[in-house]
Amino acid sequence: MDSGPMIEALTRRLAECPPDFLREPRIGGHGEIDTAAVVADLLVDLGGGPVDRQQVGAFQVQIKENHTRNWLRLVLLGAWLCHFDWFRQAGRFAPAVLRFLQGGLVELSRFVSSDLFVTDPDRREEMARLCLAALGLTPLGERPGQAADRLKALGSVERSRVIAATRKKEARARKLREEMAAQKAREAAAKVNHE
Amino acid sequence: MSEFNESGAPLDRLERSPLITGAGYRMLRRIQEHPRAPRWNYVVGDRLVAEDLEAVDRFRRTVFENRASRPGLPPPEIMDRVRMWIETIPLFLERLPRGFDLERDWVHVPTMSREDVAVRPEDIVPPQADRSRLIVYDTSGTTGHALVVPFHPRAIAKNHALMELVLARYGLRPEFKPGTMACINVAARAHTVVYPMVFSVWNQAGFAKVNFHPRVWPDPQNARGFFSDLAPGFVTGDPVGLAEMMRWDIEVRPAALVSTAVELGAGLRDRLARRYGCPVIDWYSTTETGPLAYACPAGRGMHVISPDLHVEALDPEGWPAPEDQPGELAVTGGRNPFLPLLRYRTGDFGRIETGPCPCGDPMPRIMDLSGRGLVLFRAADGSRVNPVDVGRTLRRFVLVQHEFLQRADGSCRVKIRPAPGLPPDPEAVRDALIDLFGAGAAVEVVVDEGLGRGDSDRKVVPYRSEIEAPD
Repeated sequence: MDSGPMIEALTRRLAECPPDFLREPRIGGHGEIDTAAVVADLLVDLGGGPVDRQQVGAFQVQIKENHTRNWLRLVLLGAWLCHFDWFRQAGRFAPAVLRFLQGGLVELSRFVSSDLFVTDPDRREEMARLCLAALGLTPLGERPGQAADRLKALGSVERSRVIAATRKKEARARKLREEMAAQKAREAAAKVNHE
Repeated sequence: MSEFNESGAPLDRLERSPLITGAGYRMLRRIQEHPRAPRWNYVVGDRLVAEDLEAVDRFRRTVFENRASRPGLPPPEIMDRVRMWIETIPLFLERLPRGFDLERDWVHVPTMSREDVAVRPEDIVPPQADRSRLIVYDTSGTTGHALVVPFHPRAIAKNHALMELVLARYGLRPEFKPGTMACINVAARAHTVVYPMVFSVWNQAGFAKVNFHPRVWPDPQNARGFFSDLAPGFVTGDPVGLAEMMRWDIEVRPAALVSTAVELGAGLRDRLARRYGCPVIDWYSTTETGPLAYACPAGRGMHVISPDLHVEALDPEGWPAPEDQPGELAVTGGRNPFLPLLRYRTGDFGRIETGPCPCGDPMPRIMDLSGRGLVLFRAADGSRVNPVDVGRTLRRFVLVQHEFLQRADGSCRVKIRPAPGLPPDPEAVRDALIDLFGAGAAVEVVVDEGLGRGDSDRKVVPYRSEIEAPD
């Protein structure tokens, strides 16, 4: 694994993300920023050559679904991060960056709002490390095992919150359904008006 | 043998109505044992305790005093509750990432649907909620989803304050006292519960739910005597029940008639108003949300009834509908601790208007409300069948959703979507419906696993009739 830039350089870049990259991504007829166009420009700047519109088709979202907006906002933030001088000067990261933006942020978008990857130091570090790992790099001054451990520790925090809720779910579901079934057999409470 | 306390009420009554007094129990018995009473088939109480009355008092003050027009975002009190929900309730944890900015991104909050409530209540009932006083209501309602809705008796009691508010908006301030009949709720169905009650939240005043059906009241003369003797302060009911009250020639002088469940047509409203010489108020409510809106006294649509509700009109993807176009009404807030509503799609449609209203109520108005159209079916012998009875029949089976159609020739087709892993018995469903529509009724049952799934262009219409619409 090659050595990349210092982690602090990347987290600082995230903290300084300009407002343009935080504007509303376009979904169907709503929003301002064409995420596909932003990614296409980025890939060119990273030395990827002219980009076929199909390559960035995944970022042209028409239907509003639960996590698509947060994912697109993360992609825009990721695009800002990957436009870092160090990556551009290397001139070889376009394919890995495309893969990272297409698939590397999907899971994260389910758990954490994109805003926190700008404002929260831990989330900035998580995003920076995810990016480096996706590009096959370790932060400058770290061994690969050390970098992997740190990323794992950061990533587990947010996921554990939802996973913990999921773990208790089955027992809770069974109990609640039993309670509701038992109540269904009883009378409820009188209403002055019935729907 | 039952035991008694100071009120004279037996223990089983005290369990149902813990706050009943001696005067209340005497009133209950007067209704229950009235010589012209219907054939009661149900026993129920209000299940309220002293703290509930205090909570209803506080709620009453809020509802009367905190009325305001707030276009755009939900008010801060609702927003605070939503903020808590998205940190604790599994459905919202799953749908909203941590750090979601509610104020800035409200239009991006995913909507919830009746299907969520039907299929995964365990992800909606707050994990930390004390369920010791949980009660449930079941319904098959306007989208055809079989639904068991968890509720709290205190939330139901608050409906009384909302009724007082609506009556007050029409200049009526009924005095509730022991020994008087506050209200009678009327229905006209093949099957429904029929019971007497006294409400502790209304100072032990009486109440009865009755059904204009020969099985319940074989002699209409008795129904007339029951109403004239008890003289309810006001009468509530669905339009079919209210129309039947008129057809049975019930002589009563209520301060108001309050119509619920389905849309009240202008023709019926005017006839009722003329016949009973009182305001006829349309009241918009669903089982899941409770009361939502009431007809503006100045005729400007329906005012959102309570400041703890935020109502929006949305397009199919959840974006706000353009101001001049109707959208699906979605509700946030409410007062049911077991069913937090976050942009809950009601299946009904309308436009939201804000700004001053000649009636003086500053609360937003729902204009052109639709989706609650009255549908009636005919039995094999030509008598009316209420969709509520069809829903009640189908609820005996474990179904996720249904779509019932009666064609012009009287034949019926019901599409059913079974619950996962529970194969239905179409023959049993057919037999149950023939039981309702009468021998000789043609009923076809179609199992449709895809009903209501994945085709946003086609909303499931649970009840449709091609036979001529009733007057």
